[in-house]
Amino acid sequence: MTDDDAVFKALADPTRRHLLDRLFERDGRTLTELESELAMTRFGVMKHLRVLEDAGLVVSRRSGREKLHYLNPVPIRLIHDRWIDKYTERRVSALSDLKRKLEEST
Amino acid sequence: MSTTTAQATQVFSIAIRATPEAIWEAITTPEFTQRYFHGARITVVPDHYHSLGPDGSVWGDAEVFEFDPPRRLVHGWQSLYDPELAEEEPSRVTWEIDPQAGGVCLLKVTHDQLEGAPKTAVNIAGWTFIISSLKSLLETGEPLAAA
Repeated sequence: MTDDDAVFKALADPTRRHLLDRLFERDGRTLTELESELAMTRFGVMKHLRVLEDAGLVVSRRSGREKLHYLNPVPIRLIHDRWIDKYTERRVSALSDLKRKLEEST
Repeated sequence: MSTTTAQATQVFSIAIRATPEAIWEAITTPEFTQRYFHGARITVVPDHYHSLGPDGSVWGDAEVFEFDPPRRLVHGWQSLYDPELAEEEPSRVTWEIDPQAGGVCLLKVTHDQLEGAPKTAVNIAGWTFIISSLKSLLETGEPLAAA
């Protein structure tokens, strides 16, 4: 599995996207904090966090006895550069070409 | 888009196909940093972190707290490249290079102690671009095109 595959797979699940949104709002949360916001067992949340960590979307750090979870925006940036920029750029330039053509003909 | 304030601790991590030594050199020598770090010429020695902008102005001047090549670097941070950000409290940047199987290293950049620097905390979302560009430079010989 490539890095991209792992990121797309991780993002394909609504619970995992929800976890990313929670971390986006406030980073550095423990499993217990994240668990309290989801209708899911501790084991289930751990499993989802593990998939997010394997994809590099979540990075954990130890702080004393606690394990804190942080959102890592970098893999999403790489996906954006590779899979979104490329296609939207052409679309945008097609529109600006159209605008130019239309304006030229008036 | 959410309107929450930026976090006081932010973590940026990326896998790079390069040796720890190559990554260390790329983050501590000006010949490398100027190619991926918005043109900044950054020199890091055991007790001092110094960054010069492309126009020669001082972008960063800070203490080095830990200098353990090629694995761990911790230095202070003040955004001297922007007068408004420069007035904020100093924060801290930690670089960790962690070799994985298959010739890949995990590079983790943690920017923390940002409690007294809320505007800097927003501004440093730029780390994402910087370390993506660093990865590109080390793996392909070319940085990312400037954003």
